[in-house]
Amino acid sequence: MVGRNLLEAYPDLVTRRLDEYYRDALERQVRIVSQRLHGFLLSMPGIEGSAFTRMQQSARIAPLIEDEQVIGTITVIDDVTERIEREDRLVALLANEKTARAEAEAANRAKDEFLAIVSHELRTPLNAILGWAQILRTTQTNKESSTRGLEIIENNAKAQAKLIEDVLDASRIITGKLRLDVRPIDLGPIIKSAVETARPAAAAKSIHIETALEPWGGLVSGDPNRLRQIIWNLIFNAIKFTPNSGKVEVRLQRIDSQVQVTVKDTGQGISADFLPHVFDRFRQADSSRARTHGGLGLGLAIVRHLVELHGGTVHADSDGEGRGSTFTVKLPVMAVRSGETSGTQDASRITEAGAPGSANSPASQPALNNLRVLVVDNESDAREILNITLTQCGARVMTATSTREALEILEEWEPDVLVSDIGMPGEDGYSLISKVRALGPERGGNVPAVAVTGYAGSEERMRLLSAGYQVHVTKPVEMEELIIAIADVARRTQNA
Amino acid sequence: MELSEQQKDALSELINIAFSRTAASLSELTGRRVLLDAPNVAIYPVGELASTLSKFLPAEVATVHQVFTGQVAGDALLLLNYDGAITLTDLLTDEQIRSERLNVSAREVLTEVGNILLNACLGVFGNLLKVHVTFSVPRLHLETLDALLRSLVVASESLRYALVVYTAFHMRDSAIKGYLVIALNVSSLDRLIQEAEQWEERQGHN
Repeated sequence: MVGRNLLEAYPDLVTRRLDEYYRDALERQVRIVSQRLHGFLLSMPGIEGSAFTRMQQSARIAPLIEDEQVIGTITVIDDVTERIEREDRLVALLANEKTARAEAEAANRAKDEFLAIVSHELRTPLNAILGWAQILRTTQTNKESSTRGLEIIENNAKAQAKLIEDVLDASRIITGKLRLDVRPIDLGPIIKSAVETARPAAAAKSIHIETALEPWGGLVSGDPNRLRQIIWNLIFNAIKFTPNSGKVEVRLQRIDSQVQVTVKDTGQGISADFLPHVFDRFRQADSSRARTHGGLGLGLAIVRHLVELHGGTVHADSDGEGRGSTFTVKLPVMAVRSGETSGTQDASRITEAGAPGSANSPASQPALNNLRVLVVDNESDAREILNITLTQCGARVMTATSTREALEILEEWEPDVLVSDIGMPGEDGYSLISKVRALGPERGGNVPAVAVTGYAGSEERMRLLSAGYQVHVTKPVEMEELIIAIADVARRTQNA
Repeated sequence: MELSEQQKDALSELINIAFSRTAASLSELTGRRVLLDAPNVAIYPVGELASTLSKFLPAEVATVHQVFTGQVAGDALLLLNYDGAITLTDLLTDEQIRSERLNVSAREVLTEVGNILLNACLGVFGNLLKVHVTFSVPRLHLETLDALLRSLVVASESLRYALVVYTAFHMRDSAIKGYLVIALNVSSLDRLIQEAEQWEERQGHN
């Protein structure tokens, strides 16, 4: 370096316009080179382990004066890498702290608004209850008006009980004390019963509820009461925000390995701003005093939490205000394994409770009365055992040794249930079911199917169900379980 | 000590040129338009400096201070309201989040900027009047105006009167308000007035 011109040794000083600073210094001025504006004065390698590839510098450039004459410049450079890193860390910490505080304040505001709403909502039914109680006690009333009064008191007390239940649920959710009583459940009957419960409320506003429930689409693992609460909340929410003579549509579908419930309404819709917050606790799009819709704004928050507890997701869509909304719940399909016969019993119990008359209890071993069952297996011994056992139970059985043969019989004979081995040489059970489902409903492509397999992993079960089988039985096959499974899928198809 | 109207005119014009140059530098640095008030020129006894300036300046100021020596000597000060100083450094360093206070790096930036502005101003003086001045290293003070001015008085014993030239500048779209103050000792003052009158004469001949 010695003997070389500074600007030649560091040509970037010119491009960064720092050469002017040296020129000023030769004009008797003192220059400061701050790190924040320039990063560094002269390029030097950074400290190991630092975020910077170059040493961070602050510098001073001053004239060197002898006998009143400027004879050169003096540059003093400080290495400030550590200081800069410390300051950056502090700035980041401060920013984090600010964000956290802003969030906490927003949550606090939401809570205040909620408290105001709670006290208002709880007081409204109380006014009616107290008012009518007073009327009944102090004035002479005839039979008709006292009946009316008692009815109003009862309805308002129920409304208040529901509010309190929601508040308690929200509190359980916050404290993590909400527990699920999980068992295998068919969502179909649950949705039916929820719709039935909602009909009076819908009828009061002349709202038409349409349902489209796919058969054997909804077997999930869940808490029946909580699942019903999810559906109820969504349906009541739809009714609440739909004007008179509107329409609410409830749909149950099986999509791959998920059960999907959609509740669609022709109501006021949700603005794009509010859409991300519909499931927030204590939030309603309109939190002003003049809210047109009562309620605590807890229903959807509870829905989201319950759905998530079931391992599912829920989301809301809307094309905007006045254009209706769609709520979609997705729950994982439950894999039916052998040994879960109690599950099917529970499912039918729910059916009984939910939609009376639609269930036939499989308490004893069900007879496969005249059910046409197509058994597909490449092993003759296995085919033989299945043929004999199922025939003894009253089923009419045909057997096939390959996918090709099975498809031929299926189209001609139109069996009620297909039972297929999965591990077969050449085209296996997956290939079979995809070809069957591809046939379409007219050609028997919707036949309920039971998979028989030696693989028992949960991924395998998921795969089977996504491929199109309704139920899965593990080898070695317990005949009783297989029979229950066949009867169950057949019954569910008939009921649908 | 009073200035005649003619002396005042000469000084005002000179200072106007110098301060305009300062404003232009600041505008260039920040990329924003800088509005400049007409400069005020007056002579005060140093003892009254504090009470005079405090009428115009807020109590909390960030000051870049440079001493200059030579044929004309004195103190040059760039004063900014404290919040304005923070805004200015954020503006220069493209900071997205507003800073709460001036950390070491921000102070350094302020010192560099003050240095550029003060030299732009005094450099014009030197060039027009053809006098040499040498500058000290700029320093940033974060103290009350009163304490700052007291330290000026103590530092230079010959400072009995001060020519105080101040102008306020505002940056558009921001709350940055600043003042430039140049205080000269009496002998420098005589010299400056003399030079300024000569300069104006030269201007008149052209």
